[in-house]
Amino acid sequence: MGMDSLARELKRGSTEILILALLEDRDRHGYEIAQLIEQRSEKAISFHVASLYPTLYRMEDRDLIEGRWVEKPGQRRRRYYRLTPAGRKALASQRNVWDTFFRGLNRVARIRHA
Amino acid sequence: MDWTARIRAALTRSESAPALDEDVIEELAQHAHAMYERARADGLTHDEAEARVAAQIARWQVDAPALRHKMRRAIPIEPPPVSSSSPLSSLTQDVRYAARLMWRQPRFALLVIVTMAIGIGATATLFSVTSGVLLKPLPWTTAERVVVLKETRGGSAPRFGSFSSTAYLAWREQASTIDDIAAWTPQTFTLTGVGEPERIRMTAGTASLFRVLGVRPLIGSLFADADETSPLVVLSESLWRERFAGDPAVLGRSVQLDGVPRTVIGITPDAVAYPDRLSRGWVPMHVPLPAGNMLSMFEAVATLRAGATAEQAAAEGTARGKAAADTAMTTMAIFGGNGPVGVSTRPLDEALTADVRRPLIVLLVAVSLLLAIATSNIASLQLARATTRRRELAIRAALGATSARVIRQLVVEGLLLGAAGALAGFAVAWMLHRLARGVLPADFPRVHDIALDARVVLFTILSSAVVSLIFGLWPALRLRRLNLVESLADDGASPSGIGRRSAVARSRLLIIGGQVAIACVLLVGASLLGRSFVRMLHADRGFDPSEVLSVAIPMPGPGYNPQRRIATVHAIVERLSSMPGVRHAGFTSEAPLSPGGSTSSLTLPARDGGEMVAVQASPRLVSPGYFPALGLSIVAGRSLDDSDTETSLPVVVVNETFARRYLGDRPLGVKVPMGVWGGGHQGHATIVGVVEDVRYVGSSVTTLPEMYFSTRQITAGMRSTIATLLIRANEDPARLASSVRSAIREADRMLGPGAIMTLEDRLLSTSLARPRLYAVLLTCFAVVALVVTGVGLFGVLTYTVAQRTRELGLRAALGARRLDLVALVVRQGMGVALVGVASGLCASLWLTRYIGTLLYDVSAADWVTYVAVPAILLSVAAVACLVPARRAAGLDPLRALRS
Repeated sequence: MGMDSLARELKRGSTEILILALLEDRDRHGYEIAQLIEQRSEKAISFHVASLYPTLYRMEDRDLIEGRWVEKPGQRRRRYYRLTPAGRKALASQRNVWDTFFRGLNRVARIRHA
Repeated sequence: MDWTARIRAALTRSESAPALDEDVIEELAQHAHAMYERARADGLTHDEAEARVAAQIARWQVDAPALRHKMRRAIPIEPPPVSSSSPLSSLTQDVRYAARLMWRQPRFALLVIVTMAIGIGATATLFSVTSGVLLKPLPWTTAERVVVLKETRGGSAPRFGSFSSTAYLAWREQASTIDDIAAWTPQTFTLTGVGEPERIRMTAGTASLFRVLGVRPLIGSLFADADETSPLVVLSESLWRERFAGDPAVLGRSVQLDGVPRTVIGITPDAVAYPDRLSRGWVPMHVPLPAGNMLSMFEAVATLRAGATAEQAAAEGTARGKAAADTAMTTMAIFGGNGPVGVSTRPLDEALTADVRRPLIVLLVAVSLLLAIATSNIASLQLARATTRRRELAIRAALGATSARVIRQLVVEGLLLGAAGALAGFAVAWMLHRLARGVLPADFPRVHDIALDARVVLFTILSSAVVSLIFGLWPALRLRRLNLVESLADDGASPSGIGRRSAVARSRLLIIGGQVAIACVLLVGASLLGRSFVRMLHADRGFDPSEVLSVAIPMPGPGYNPQRRIATVHAIVERLSSMPGVRHAGFTSEAPLSPGGSTSSLTLPARDGGEMVAVQASPRLVSPGYFPALGLSIVAGRSLDDSDTETSLPVVVVNETFARRYLGDRPLGVKVPMGVWGGGHQGHATIVGVVEDVRYVGSSVTTLPEMYFSTRQITAGMRSTIATLLIRANEDPARLASSVRSAIREADRMLGPGAIMTLEDRLLSTSLARPRLYAVLLTCFAVVALVVTGVGLFGVLTYTVAQRTRELGLRAALGARRLDLVALVVRQGMGVALVGVASGLCASLWLTRYIGTLLYDVSAADWVTYVAVPAILLSVAAVACLVPARRAAGLDPLRALRS
């Protein structure tokens, strides 16, 4: 497996946990989610918005998140996403899985995760 | 910069595939806008920033298919996915979705469930009563073949009993259409010898009664034909368990009925008690062979022979009766005529429930109307809600949901709410059902057959299903021709939105109109029955029942013989008369509430050379205090008084009917034979006075000629084992009750007087119990209907005012006065009410024909009702209009237009 394809696979698998984690403390709209992922990962992970929105919609279908239109005076209508109880559960379990994975990885390959 | 238009153009240009969902485009536009703002904030020029966004849009263009297929959810309450792998799983989704919806809008769900609980609960309860009384098979195994017999002479019915011994015997000897014929009559005894003395009702019947009804003993045996004159008794199971703890050794033991020892030979199940479970056992009865003018009257039943019809039996009975011995004079007395014998037959189930069939059906129809109002109220609420959900449904339709799918979802929602409502309704029915037993009059037929059984459960489920289908389907059908573009474009302010919403409002107003009409019908019915009941209560009986206390005192043998009973009665009356607060106290052998007691045939000696007069009159034994205690005035001559004693000239007072019918204008001085009292009474009593009639209101029997003899002159004593005392008080009669009870106890410690109550209360618990029940029930239904309708009208008007806020604001801005705005709302509300009232009145005029037979002294077209009901309805409608109208008047034009 080449370096590129590994990164791609990792990215695909981690997208969901990133989104769930970002929605954990408050509701956010799509652009904000994309920005935050870029900022917090120090640009190591970046998104094609093309893949962000289909991911959001897919997660919404699976009842992990929930989108709703919010109108504020003087602003354009924005679609905010929030975590559903199922999403919260999924986040907890994914965290667990990643944690175990990284710990194992670290023990074998001596990679430290933050 | 209009990102929305650019994105729409970019993403739909390339393909011929259907356009992207507007929500997706909007979201991407939001993203593009934020990106542009960010780039500008980072110091890029307009062109640089635009280029960056354009690059992003170009990428989206590539991924357009992924975006197109994923966007499904557009509003906070997510409807279930449009397509699904299997019908079952999509149904599960629908149910889950509906449950979530219910959970999220608990107030709406609660309102629906409570409304349904009342409607379904009341209907199920009434259905259980109707089903138990009218539909369930009778407990007697032969019931289908049993007919109840009635005899008439020249078309006139007997004054008491239904069948004569002559017709009975003639038919019994020679019968071809019936297998068996039986005679019976209800009797009341005082049971002694086992525990506390108790008044109980029993059925005196011929041995054939058991065969006709197919009754089998639980233990022991029943009477044989040869036993009909023996002192035997068969007890009901419940009496046996109460008094003998269900001990089988009871067989052969002796109990005393009115002081006469009878041997217990068997026990029968309670279910087969005849005519109902108030009868606690059976005693034998013998129909005597004809002797002279003797005629006994009783009730009769027969079993039809296989293949014979009730009509054939009636024809045969008539023929046998005509061939029977003639008892001319007695017949005259009992039937009021001596025309040809006529025998009619009626199936047992019909005869037992004839009195309650009509009222029950009327009440069931009334409660169904109530359910209809409740249902339509829910439908109206659903309609209002459907308008607000129109966008949701439109989006689902746009995403490919077929209308069948959308309708199914709405129906599933309806059914889920309906199921919850049904459950609550059943709980209400269960509670009402427990109440019903206590509320139904004691003599209501087949009370014990009323149960919340499988039939009632099935009825509850079916009616809830129908109800929820209606309120689930109606909004769905209203929205069937949903215009997608219009719905999506509708922001609540566009003219098309108003049009659609007011169409919904029109549907709701139509529903309200129907509700007003139904409420009108129920109110008319309630008013008629209520007024009829009040008339019955306050009818002129010749006395005022609310002012007179009455008490029944059982004086069973063997401790009390007829002479001792009279002596005891005298002692009690004397004691009561001297009590403070008592104005008059009197005794009577027959309570003046129903035309009970025996009647006697006698002849009055000829006067002025005229002919002997055949008289049929009811002899009564009273103490002199009876007339003043009841408040009856003497219209001619004098009353009975204390100077009339055993040693003085025997006297009698007759009622007006007696005087009018037999004595003409000179009633006093005529002599009546004393033989009617038996016990060696001979000679004559002179008529010394005429007293006012007592009228028996609500009874089919009109006032009979009556003769009042004094207790002081009838040495044979008191034959009845129960004495009725009447007390007129100076004060509130209710306050006297306890001192009356202690006075009776002081006079004779052995006595256990019955309940002490005014004659009015006694009427309410007996002959007026059913009319009162019907009136109260129908009034309850009508009041609930009125409230539901009023609230419904209020809701719809408030809703339309809210929907029309902009329009009303515009009108106000254009110079409409407050009054004009009020008029606009009131016209809408009152218009609906008027149409509803008008159609309700028409329907009432047609429907009230069916309650004509339940009315007393009130016409089915009673004008008071037909004036009062519209007045009440329109006032309620006016109140319901008031708040929305005030809201409309109080609109601030500027704020209304801005909203």
